Amino acid sequence: MKRREFLIAGSAAALEGLSVNASQAQTSESRAKIVIAGAGAAGLSLASRLRHGMPNATIVIVDAKKQHHFQPGYTLIGAGLWSPSQVTSNNADYMPRGIEWIQEAVTAFEPETNAVFTTSGTRIDYDFLLVATGLKLDYDAIEGMDTALIGQNGIASVYAGPNEAQASAAAIDRFIETGGIGLFGRPTGEMKCAGAPLKMTFIADDKARRAGRRGAVELIYNAHTGGVFSVPPVNERVTEMFAERNIAVNYTHVLAAIDPGSKRATYRTADGEVTLDYDFIHVIPPMRAPDAVLDSPLPWQDGNLAADGWVEADKATLRHPRYPNVFAVGDIAGVPRGKTAASVKWQAPIVVANLIAETAGRTGSASYNGYTSCPMVTGFGKAMLIEFDYEGNLTPSFPFIDPLKEQWVSWLIEEKGLLGAYRAMLRGYA
Amino acid sequence: MSDFSPVVVFYILSESLGIWLWIVLALALALLVGITYAALRLRAADRSPARPLVMAAIAGVLTTAIFTFLVPGWSHAEISALNGPVDYVFAILFSMVPAGIVAALVFIIAGLRCASGMARTSKNLVGAIKG
Ligand SMILES: Cc1cc2nc3c(=O)[nH]c(=O)nc-3n(C[C@H](O)[C@H](O)[C@H](O)COP(=O)(O)OP(=O)(O)OC[C@H]3O[C@@H](n4cnc5c(N)ncnc54)[C@H](O)[C@@H]3O)c2cc1C
Repeated sequence: MKRREFLIAGSAAALEGLSVNASQAQTSESRAKIVIAGAGAAGLSLASRLRHGMPNATIVIVDAKKQHHFQPGYTLIGAGLWSPSQVTSNNADYMPRGIEWIQEAVTAFEPETNAVFTTSGTRIDYDFLLVATGLKLDYDAIEGMDTALIGQNGIASVYAGPNEAQASAAAIDRFIETGGIGLFGRPTGEMKCAGAPLKMTFIADDKARRAGRRGAVELIYNAHTGGVFSVPPVNERVTEMFAERNIAVNYTHVLAAIDPGSKRATYRTADGEVTLDYDFIHVIPPMRAPDAVLDSPLPWQDGNLAADGWVEADKATLRHPRYPNVFAVGDIAGVPRGKTAASVKWQAPIVVANLIAETAGRTGSASYNGYTSCPMVTGFGKAMLIEFDYEGNLTPSFPFIDPLKEQWVSWLIEEKGLLGAYRAMLRGYA
Repeated sequence: MSDFSPVVVFYILSESLGIWLWIVLALALALLVGITYAALRLRAADRSPARPLVMAAIAGVLTTAIFTFLVPGWSHAEISALNGPVDYVFAILFSMVPAGIVAALVFIIAGLRCASGMARTSKNLVGAIKG
């Protein structure tokens, strides 16, 4: 144990008497073998909690990625406030002791035989499988788009990674300097942090105002449906704010192709294809399950979550209905809403609590209500702390913060609080 | 808010502040020792702590006022970002951290000076009587 971890653990133990996290209070002596596919926000959080709650279990985590990225920070990099190094760390720093980390990708899932296969062809058998592979950003689905273009010819995309987010910040600044038309929007289908496309629009607007260049830029948000956000009160509020800030909205416009040379973007609309000229475009690609998941029997077989390969899961327990020893946590879970790191904070303890109960011979009763949160940055120093559940009810964590009011305290939570909370979550403490 | 137990808040703070959490805690402990020492010295010298307390309170209020305007800058925001009572309350709460440090230092310095001043005065008086 590193000295810092020792100090933290010692002090926390002293506090432990004051409050015990419900899911950690229960343990199971089971010697089950648990395989976690993916070491992102969900995978690491699950691993840490399982290590505490199932000390005798064999826990194997499979992920080829060595670096860890705090993705919620990408929008702040895109705003030009944070640097890539602030969101980059190593998975090894969060890997709990006593966990076997296989540094390969899962290439195939075989739930009928309770096994996964890795890049090297190794077969790993399991008693329980936790699928936490996150999702795939499908840039190839936009004709003419390539991540190598980010930062050039007015093309931005903060989703692609920290360096691309930094290149996007520079692209926004150049656009504000030169002026012209800026296009924003989001893909159709499920996506992670559906607030981020709106955040980037607000950030560009605020930056242009601060530079005294708002008159020189025309900002257009291309919504994929008839609204800008799926939660009605938020949709109403953001639509109102866009109108106040002179941000135009095109409804049912989904980006299909871009021509970087001539700076033209083609959208699928209810009335056929429409091509718009741009000087700047913030591209957010369609999102779907990684290939290994998509090609497996795990995804939904029908319904609106089937085509993109989201893993079939009960929306309250995240358990697979056809393979009851399989759970899906994080972005890959085929549940309505819930594709944020804040959702993982609620999903991981629920899955672990139920797994502990089941392996200890009890009946697990923890259930997930669809909690999703995304502090909606509306300018420098301002945000709305939006939290909601499956039904689209606003579920504010802090009764004194109005979720539909632009506040500095909500910005403070985004800018100063989230990273610490996220890292505490990876260690299984939040 | 129910999930924000003291343990969770502690872990979030330790992940957010890193080594700074321990520096702040060590400083708080050192100031607490300093305050206790100054209070004991005042008592030994039979001096009222009222004057150092008033000086500490004034310094604390002034520092809070100054830092309330600086706190938004620490979060890449401007003072104009404060929008409504909740924002001001939080800005004031954060400002109370440096204000607490300043107030504690002022109390310690004023308390010790006051106590040693009294000690000097008593010594001088005793000397004068004897002489
Ligand atoms: C621009 C942006 C802004 C965001 N803003 C917010 C925000 O403000 N608030 C918020 O709560 N959330 C936000 N999010 C969303 C949040 O980051 C994700 O929801 C969260 O990271 C999901 O966790 P996950 O573990 O499911 O996926 P990830 O964290 O992406 O991790 C998935 C892991 O699985 C691994 N993997 C993939 N395929 C395989 C395979 N075949 N085998 C093994 N491993 C595999 C990957 O290498 C990766 O390490 C934002 C995201 C982005 C991109």
